Amino acid sequence: MINDTILSIMDSRQKRQRRFIIVTSVLALISLALCCSMLMLGNTIYPVADVFRVLMGEEVKGASFAVGTIRLPRMLAGVFAGFAFGAGGYIFQTMLRNPLANPNVIGITAGSSAAAVFCIIVLQAGTTVISIASVIGGLATVLVIYGLSKGSSFSIGRLILIGIGIQAMLTAVINYLLLIGQENDLPAAMRWLSGSLNGAKMETLLPLVVIVLIFTPILLFFGKRLEMLELGEQAATSLGVDTNKTRLILIVSSVLMIALATATTGPIAFVAFLSGPIAKRLVGVGYSNILPAGLVGISLVLASDLIGQFAFVARYPVGVITGILGAPYLIYLLIRINRKGDL
Amino acid sequence: MKPTHTFQAESITAGYDKKTILHDISIAIPSNKISIIIGANGCGKSTLLKTMARLIKPTSGQISLDGKPIHKIPPKHLARVLGLLPQSPIVPEGITVADLVGRGRFPHHTFMKGWSKKDYEAVAEAMDIMNITEFADRNIDELSGGQRQRVWIAMALAQQTDILFLDEPTTYLDITYQVEILDMLTDLNRKYGTTIVMVLHDINLSARYADHIFALNKGKLVAEGTPSEVITSSLIKDIFNLNCKVIEDPVSDSPSVVPIGRHHNKSISISENPVIV
Repeated sequence: MINDTILSIMDSRQKRQRRFIIVTSVLALISLALCCSMLMLGNTIYPVADVFRVLMGEEVKGASFAVGTIRLPRMLAGVFAGFAFGAGGYIFQTMLRNPLANPNVIGITAGSSAAAVFCIIVLQAGTTVISIASVIGGLATVLVIYGLSKGSSFSIGRLILIGIGIQAMLTAVINYLLLIGQENDLPAAMRWLSGSLNGAKMETLLPLVVIVLIFTPILLFFGKRLEMLELGEQAATSLGVDTNKTRLILIVSSVLMIALATATTGPIAFVAFLSGPIAKRLVGVGYSNILPAGLVGISLVLASDLIGQFAFVARYPVGVITGILGAPYLIYLLIRINRKGDL
Repeated sequence: MKPTHTFQAESITAGYDKKTILHDISIAIPSNKISIIIGANGCGKSTLLKTMARLIKPTSGQISLDGKPIHKIPPKHLARVLGLLPQSPIVPEGITVADLVGRGRFPHHTFMKGWSKKDYEAVAEAMDIMNITEFADRNIDELSGGQRQRVWIAMALAQQTDILFLDEPTTYLDITYQVEILDMLTDLNRKYGTTIVMVLHDINLSARYADHIFALNKGKLVAEGTPSEVITSSLIKDIFNLNCKVIEDPVSDSPSVVPIGRHHNKSISISENPVIV
């Protein structure tokens, strides 16, 4: 009797493990295929062989410049920003137990954007300053929101509401800056605000790449603890999780990743918001879905960028396309939450 | 049989923010027995349980397990000896019963090590004890309140701790399920010698199921001992401000409290506790 139970638990566990591996592999393959397409497609289409030779460091006439200098940084920006948004967004949603609780909705992105637009329009600053300012802007906004929502006891609902309020204020600041800005600065600011992979350069990518490579293993290690946190503060503590330490590490890592991604590509709308739920739908609950969520983020960004570049007569930045994809989901979610009656 | 532990709280004072709820409480948990903490609403029963389970840091005093202060024991190690089922844990959306019970194995896992045979056995056994094997692959959202509570207790059992704390495990359940759960916990204690400490609301069920009772009043320990030593009409009057008559439980040999209100009293006067109108 007990043995039957053991076998059946083992069986369903292995089934889910298989599903996790298959889904993750498929997502990785899709990401890889999109990466290849990013490198191959453009004004001139280069065959895989040429792309491969360029990547190996060979000099290929024409292809070396187009693939190596333009398309490769664009692709890498999409990959690392997509992963950062996807994984970071998933962690926020899971930790705060609310699909609305993600960097876009609670204002971290707005903080980064406001700082960047301020640098572009008021300070006329260069790209390095803009990047640093937007990281600081994002982190500062988190601190303000966390501080204000702390009160006598921490409340997730309050955090989200304060985040939404702060976001509205920052959006007002951004709009004001755009109004007073000089006409020739506006395109740069607007491109930044909509989130775009245009103009990505190898040099500017480095900080994002380093941060993602450092923090991803840390996040994966803490993934199990994140699952325990889902059961609530008390249950997690009694299962041996140091909840304060875990939460701090998870927040700092994901905020840093998201802030740097925002500083590099601008806020690519809704990726942080959509990736987690999509990954969860594909893999199922009961697993730490950080890796699949990151891969979904990559796929969303790269696919949207390809659509933005090639599907229409005019070229659209990636953020416009993800915005079109994400907005209906936000509305759906709000309607569902409204029906259930809780935030 | 589970090993014997000494688990003690020495003159602990604790509370939330600036409000002190527990005043200088010292208790020793009887090993391998069922202890129940009783008291009126807001007297600090739950706070005491949570403080002992390191969910609340005491402002002064010390809690120790086998002579070692619990905050000096690494959290995961402590979680292999001491488990707590909180009053209202959160169900992650869409999780299955077997998965939730499986999370109780977390303290036994080390990094990168997958599930071992021991883990599967622990989960299967916990589900068997709580009689939820048939729901293994069901979604928790589909279960009734009583079934859900059994799943949570199973999760705590899968943790295989020697000491198990439960914060009002029977609240919001029908009387049938209250008795069912208390019976299952008694089985657990008799079969494995698990030390059980719980907060219960129902005074009569407490008197029946406890080996040892801790009575709290306004954040202080006012009495402890076996149910028949502790449950007296004067104690009930003190801590609940209720007039009552304590009789022998007609089913077991434990004391049973019969409350006296202002109405529906037989005309015969109750000698020991005059009714004050």
